[in-house]
Amino acid sequence: MSSKFSYWKMTVVVVIFIGFIGLFFWALSHDPRELPSQLINQPVPEFSVVDLLEPEVIHTQSMFNEKITLLNVWASWCAACYSEHPYWNQFTQTSQLQLVGLNYNDKKEKALRFLESQGNPYKKVIFDQSGRLGIDFGVYGAPETFLIGPDARVRYRHVGVVNSKVFATKFKPLINKIKQGF
Amino acid sequence: MKNLFMLTVFFMSSLTSASVDLHEFDSLQQEKRYRHLISILRCPTCQNQNLSDSNSMVSDDLKQIVYEKIRAGASDKEIILFMKQRYGEFILYQPEVSQSNVILWAGPFVFLIGFLILFFVWYNKNKGDVSDD
Repeated sequence: MSSKFSYWKMTVVVVIFIGFIGLFFWALSHDPRELPSQLINQPVPEFSVVDLLEPEVIHTQSMFNEKITLLNVWASWCAACYSEHPYWNQFTQTSQLQLVGLNYNDKKEKALRFLESQGNPYKKVIFDQSGRLGIDFGVYGAPETFLIGPDARVRYRHVGVVNSKVFATKFKPLINKIKQGF
Repeated sequence: MKNLFMLTVFFMSSLTSASVDLHEFDSLQQEKRYRHLISILRCPTCQNQNLSDSNSMVSDDLKQIVYEKIRAGASDKEIILFMKQRYGEFILYQPEVSQSNVILWAGPFVFLIGFLILFFVWYNKNKGDVSDD
């Protein structure tokens, strides 16, 4: 065998090795439990669900028209929501965006107690007692936060707690894009 | 005393097995379809369980939806489509072949054939050449 051939062999082995290392690092930086939303760039599902605080008010998908909205899925049984909530309380004081809560699969008294004790940062709170609207949104845990454009289409879904770092890296660039017309 | 103990054990065991679904169906056929669907659909929260094994909130809701849809006359295809539109291909334990995953389906066969070809090339080249290392 010529030495040329073994160089070629060596290169192949090294390339495959580097490829695997790259793949492992990529896999490490990705949470396998995070599912991509099926609604990206799709219109929000149609719905007609009451408000948590004003039961006579019925919300529909038109609540997202002509506004940039953050739709935060929360529940009183969701432990991570308690640690996320202070962020929204602070967020709502400075942001111009419409912050809507989706109370998911919860009991009314418990949900109200949550807002009483933790504060209410939401403009409106959709009371999805049955969890069916959550399923239409593809929710599989809480908290989840959807970014919805003024055309009532979903732009992004974040699973897990939102804090200022997550907001700055994941949401802000997309919001700027929407503001520029896309 | 021993009898009392056995009795307690007996009733406790019946308590633990009481978590089966209490759905009523119009026919055995419907129930079979229900059992089949909740076994091939995956729980979105607890990823290594199917709906049938999972007691998570989402799974319970999805099972209820499967049940209601079967009762309302939906076909298996329609129910699977409903789930896929919300949770994606992930919801199926056995994803369907599509453009994005065709490599996963065909990959092993491509590799197998590729290696067989390589092997025969190598074999023919070295035929009779015992001293090669």
